Amino acid sequence: MPGFLAPLFMLGALAAAVPIVLHLLKREPEARVRFAAVKLLQLAPVEQSARRRLREWLLLALRVGAIVLLSLAFARPFFSRTVEAEPAGVVVVALDTSFSLSAPGRFERAQELARSAIRQAPPDALVAVVRFADDAEVATVPTPDRATALATIDAARVGFGATRYRPALLAAVGLITERGEGDGAIVMVTDAQQVGWASDDGVMVPGTVRLELEDVGPLVPNLAVTDVRLAGGRAIATVRNFAPAAREARVRLLVDDAMAGEGAVSLGPNQSGSVALPLGEGGSRAEVRVEDPDGLQADNARFSVLDGQSATPILVVTASGDLGREALFVQQALLAAGSSGSAYEVEGVSAEALSGWLVTRLHDYAAVALLSTQGLDRRGRELIREYAMRGGRLLVVAGPGVDGDVVTGALGRGIEVAMPAEAASDPRGERRALMPVDVRHPVFRTLGAAAGTLGLATFRRVASVGAAECDLLARFTTGEAALVECAADGGRTLVFASDLNQAWNDFPRHGIFVPFLHEVVNYLSEGRRRASEYRVAEVPTGIAPGPGFVTLPPARAEASPRVVAVNVDPEESEPARLTAEAFLAAVTRTAPAPPDGAPAGGRPVPPGQQAWRYLLWLMLGVLVVESVLGRRTA
Amino acid sequence: MAASVHGRQFLDPAVVARLSTLELKARTVVEGFLSGLHRSPFKGFSVEFAEYRQYMPGDDLATIDWKVFARSDRHYVKKFEEETNLDCHILLDVSGSMAYGSGAMTKHEYASCLAASLGYLMNRQRDAVGLAAFADRIVTMQAASARPGHLRALLVALDRLKPALETDVARPLHQLADSLSKRGMVVLISDLLDDPERVIRGLKHFQFRGADVIVFHVLDPYELTFPFERATRFEDLETSEEVVAVPALAREAYLKAIKGLIERYRRELGSVGIDYQQLSTEQPLEMALLAYLSTRARAF
Repeated sequence: MPGFLAPLFMLGALAAAVPIVLHLLKREPEARVRFAAVKLLQLAPVEQSARRRLREWLLLALRVGAIVLLSLAFARPFFSRTVEAEPAGVVVVALDTSFSLSAPGRFERAQELARSAIRQAPPDALVAVVRFADDAEVATVPTPDRATALATIDAARVGFGATRYRPALLAAVGLITERGEGDGAIVMVTDAQQVGWASDDGVMVPGTVRLELEDVGPLVPNLAVTDVRLAGGRAIATVRNFAPAAREARVRLLVDDAMAGEGAVSLGPNQSGSVALPLGEGGSRAEVRVEDPDGLQADNARFSVLDGQSATPILVVTASGDLGREALFVQQALLAAGSSGSAYEVEGVSAEALSGWLVTRLHDYAAVALLSTQGLDRRGRELIREYAMRGGRLLVVAGPGVDGDVVTGALGRGIEVAMPAEAASDPRGERRALMPVDVRHPVFRTLGAAAGTLGLATFRRVASVGAAECDLLARFTTGEAALVECAADGGRTLVFASDLNQAWNDFPRHGIFVPFLHEVVNYLSEGRRRASEYRVAEVPTGIAPGPGFVTLPPARAEASPRVVAVNVDPEESEPARLTAEAFLAAVTRTAPAPPDGAPAGGRPVPPGQQAWRYLLWLMLGVLVVESVLGRRTA
Repeated sequence: MAASVHGRQFLDPAVVARLSTLELKARTVVEGFLSGLHRSPFKGFSVEFAEYRQYMPGDDLATIDWKVFARSDRHYVKKFEEETNLDCHILLDVSGSMAYGSGAMTKHEYASCLAASLGYLMNRQRDAVGLAAFADRIVTMQAASARPGHLRALLVALDRLKPALETDVARPLHQLADSLSKRGMVVLISDLLDDPERVIRGLKHFQFRGADVIVFHVLDPYELTFPFERATRFEDLETSEEVVAVPALAREAYLKAIKGLIERYRRELGSVGIDYQQLSTEQPLEMALLAYLSTRARAF
């Protein structure tokens, strides 16, 4: 069925009257000249009047035709196919299963909207169902069977994830475009939370795909535990009232599933408040709950691990592996809880035993402190070297247990460590202090003003550390390098040019020793510390994505399983929502994939609306013929 | 306005065209022309004896009077005064095609002026001059005469001629050639837009009759260059036949045809000793007079 997208342009065809009028008004456009040598002129290519008249009429027809074709092209003709013949594509229903729909009746409402979308799909369209929260899952691949899709929706359950639109749209677009036609529709059944769009989300949906938002409605009034901090033997819970009216929140603390405390806080509309509850002695798991039977259920509780099961493992290499005798100060400093409340799990090993290890085993530790090279054979040196080169985090303490040549050979990369000569004449040696070179470095930055107390420690003997390609972080007041950092391939190696066990200095007896060592190890183990808490979307593979306590299998054979807490994403409780227009505006519509051989780019033009291009080409062709013919007639 | 040819200053035909009468035009052209010939080689066509003069080195040996040498054993050369002993017939084409003109003068006006100038010059040199105007037949004819009043009659006849009829150069030429009673000179002034073969045959007829022939082929500049730009309906001045031509497309073939016609006349007439001079109506008339005098010099 032909039609026009811009039929008013057909009025332009009236301009075809112009050449007709000109033709009628000036039927004999050529000049008339009385000439003597007409006989000679007849030898030239002249034309007879009859033929010329025919040519003039042809010219007129071409000119009129060009104008009419131009008008037709601007009127954008199209030839629509019959409804029966046009494939309707795929209708994908994306069902939000995030916990923001966990309030009573909310998810049922979402299911009903999804079922309605399936039923309203064109009869010849395929239907598909995608469930989404943090991630998207294709629950029903495109099928003509509505019953299957409806059953999938009936079987869907609300989860504990947070809303993320991007994976849902990507999955839906993939289902539509994998069939090659690019036609279809995506029906997003969701409560349209604003948090569903991350700032860097960019989703492109083909222009031929219809995108609809089926809004489940605004979130219900809700109380949520958004944070729990453990400090000073107390659990400090933050509770927020996502409601337009003030509410009193009753908060309970359970330690190892036993009631440990209870409190209440009055919260104004959309206000947050904190409740501090004593943890008591012992216990490893804390759970904070707020009573909110009518709101979202998943954010009513928050879980925390109390003991050190999730402490970051640090390996300390000494001559015998006996840390109590050879690395007492280092061990005790690391076992002490830091300012962040975290502690380290310190494990000792002899240098000789280390030679039998594989490098993968070293990577089970967040960092390795090398305090002795006694007994470290060639294989052990190669192990250290490989570890350092392949992303390992290594602290070399160039104290009395370390052989400079062994360390130099093990580290490579131009790092040279030379141990001091025996000072027989002056057993106390030259006295010097530690001095940071760049206080902005992470090792010193968090120490703040306390970094100045580093100078109180007295260093009698120091090793000589030379590393042209490494950064100098601290030096001694006598000019020697004190702390050097060498980074390579994601790994970090710090070389401390003295002892940490009070043999060459009195550093461990100063208060700054523990914070300094914590920051050094913190810096080394950055990105490798064991988490004691996960969000639902971040749980390791194989763990059910739900809030609560989960026991993780041990990373090493000799290690013990550890318990971590899994909590929901508190952002999902945010009630801010998008309008349908704002939601659709966040999606970038793209041109459909061009057919084979067709140029890419440009505004998508539905099939059957390309006629204007052919008309323009035809008009150009007519103009070319008119130009050639007109030149012969001019 | 004057034009310069070979160092001589000639009158522009546009200036001549503005003169009132044909006689005035002829006199202006000829007198101006002759005033520039005081050192020309054309002096002394007459054979009337004037005086003897002793031979001087450099004198033409042909002028030595050998009879006097026989009698006196001295070399004397003869000096002559101009004297008429030549019948000159001017044949003027007055066919319709001669009415064409793109500039100040039509071909007919130019040809008439040329005929008048030649008649004036001939009369001044005491040659007998006659006139025959023709198109497809002889329109008017005046017998050659050197009488003083004859020139006026010739000019009046020229003034009355109007181009109108179709061209048929050959037939009148044959008629005129048959009517020649004595040896003389024939000057044909025409645009020669006719069958060249028949025209040349007619001119050869004059040669056969012992006449010296000079042909002035008069064409308009537009006929020589065909400078038209836009499509034009060309109407034949004689037959009223019409053709429509796009000059850009027809120009090359037309110019080839007109140049071929000119070249053919030049080649074939030259090969039989007929002087041929192609003239454009924008060329000074004196060019034709020079050609005439040159031909006359060879004749005597």
